[in-house]
Amino acid sequence: MGFFSQKPAHNNQTEKQNPAFYALVFVLIIMALGPIVLMLSTSLRLNVDIMNDSASWLIMPTLRNYETVLCNALWYTPEHVDYCNPTFGRALGNSLIVSLISTIITLIVGCMAAYALVRFRFMGRGVVSMSTLMMRMVPPAVLLVPVFGIWTFQYGLDGSYSGIILVYVAMNLPFVIWILQSFIVQVPIQLEEAAKMDGANALQTFFLVVLPVIKPGLAAASIFTFRIAWNEFLLANALLDRNTRTVPVTIVNSITEHDIDWGVIMATGMLLAVPPIIFTFIASKQIITGMTAGAVKG
Amino acid sequence: MPQIRFDQVTKSYGNTQVLPPFDLTLHNGEFTVLVGPSGCGKSTTLRMLAGLEVLSGGEIWFDDRPISRVEPKDRDIAMVFQDYALYPHMNIAKNMSFALKLKRTPKKEINQKVEQVATMLGIEHLLSRKPGELSGGQRQRVAMGRALVRDASTFLFDEPLSNLDAKLRNKMRTELAEMRNLLDKNMVYVTHDQVEAMTLGDRIVVMADGLIQQQGTPEELFKTPNNKFVAGFIGSPNMNFLEATLIEEADNLYAKGKGFCLQLSAQHRATLTSRIAQQDADITVGIRPSSFYLDNLPESANTPSEISLYVVVSEYLGAQSVLLTRCEDQNLEIEMESASPVQNNQTLNFSVLPEDIMIFDNDTGNRL
Repeated sequence: MGFFSQKPAHNNQTEKQNPAFYALVFVLIIMALGPIVLMLSTSLRLNVDIMNDSASWLIMPTLRNYETVLCNALWYTPEHVDYCNPTFGRALGNSLIVSLISTIITLIVGCMAAYALVRFRFMGRGVVSMSTLMMRMVPPAVLLVPVFGIWTFQYGLDGSYSGIILVYVAMNLPFVIWILQSFIVQVPIQLEEAAKMDGANALQTFFLVVLPVIKPGLAAASIFTFRIAWNEFLLANALLDRNTRTVPVTIVNSITEHDIDWGVIMATGMLLAVPPIIFTFIASKQIITGMTAGAVKG
Repeated sequence: MPQIRFDQVTKSYGNTQVLPPFDLTLHNGEFTVLVGPSGCGKSTTLRMLAGLEVLSGGEIWFDDRPISRVEPKDRDIAMVFQDYALYPHMNIAKNMSFALKLKRTPKKEINQKVEQVATMLGIEHLLSRKPGELSGGQRQRVAMGRALVRDASTFLFDEPLSNLDAKLRNKMRTELAEMRNLLDKNMVYVTHDQVEAMTLGDRIVVMADGLIQQQGTPEELFKTPNNKFVAGFIGSPNMNFLEATLIEEADNLYAKGKGFCLQLSAQHRATLTSRIAQQDADITVGIRPSSFYLDNLPESANTPSEISLYVVVSEYLGAQSVLLTRCEDQNLEIEMESASPVQNNQTLNFSVLPEDIMIFDNDTGNRL
């Protein structure tokens, strides 16, 4: 009897929690999606509608702002554009170059460093391993002034791709090394021994056996690195010039004292979000569970 | 095929010496089994041979070639690992052909070899699958296939069957035995299971605590063990050991203990009588479980001794029974043919022949 009587009580309890629970979820959704919806709706309006206080939610959506942003990438010239500003197209290209190259370099250097820290016994291994994580604790704002000084006056790297890529690699490397270490530790040592017996040298073992096995780790690390490089503003703003500016810097710079074209800014923001989404989507397909399934008896 | 020779090889980890210097020769084309309880150094020995562990001293010779500083890939050795160690991201065909690919073997030849070995092992239908999709037995087969494809002169097996269930283990064991006859290669096999050692090995090396206790054919080890450890380790069920004292009565030598008095052979008498005079008569008697006779004593038997044993547990296995019996406070296991189950809780009189009795020194454990 006790068993049966307890069951409905349990049901009641969950039903009672429901409204509050859903309310909480709703608030969270609003908080997460609200700005995006606002940005999307603004980007689809004419400036007249944006500035009009009495404007309702019911508007005729227009792609004009997007046309303005992408004007030099389109195959036709939009009617409303008097002067096609190439800034955004260039900034998008810059962002892609800087993010992709810094991600690739970070991964290559990071996975090798992580492997060495896990598998090789050398003097100062613990110190190196620990200090990589400590570096991560330095806020980028602290680096800003010295990096700007050294990059500009010592090496003349300001305004160049290599300068900003170098900074991003240095910034992301500690975390990537840290993440990949935990993945490499999980690779059974027997796999490497088997490869050794099969005649693989150290590099072949690393590239043909270890790297494919830690592919999920590489994917996770690459998503992280790409997004940081893609969104970074502070250092990019300080180090880059008008030809090499990335999208976040361009957006902020488009706010001038004469004019704030909200529609274009929001359209740029929407477009800014697209590449990382595509990148994350592709990379996350590599994140599968059970990376070493079947390798060794579990 | 090279003759493999360990010459004063030692291994230490830090200050702990796990393998004191030892010599060992593995004869050409033989299936050698290293057997011993866990932690006896058998795997370490194998891994030193494979090149996965560095020697702390001594040298391993392949014929006249010192190889302790040679890379594993240049030793012409293939190895099967205890937990398979298959590459999880490659399918079975790629797993098996990995070594050949590294050697830049022509593709056609690779395919041919992989197919040939896969057919031999009965895994040709699995070639396009990933290791994660295979059962334990299939993985083990793939692991063996990977070694076989390489056509190396020496094969190393590191407890390859220990992860399989009992039934599969028996099956794979017989398949291994068949493979051994088929291939004319040096094979070194490490196991802790004396049954595997006895059934597979041309020669068995028994190790304990980093020391080689004895080496020889399965028959030699079973019939003439060097010491108490080998006698107890080889053979299933294990040998019974009883504490006893030597006494001489009416020109015969007896081993007398609590609840029994066994007559020893003339041979024992020749070697052991002197110990009585030296007040060193305490010894250990070893009798195999299969050496007890209830009523089926051979015709030729002379001077059998009787021993009364109380049956505590009787395990009926069909054609045989294994009896756990007690003689005063010492336990004995007896293996006997049985038409029907033997009743528990009864006292039976068994006969033991003098030539079936082994005598061991109490201090050194050596057979006397």
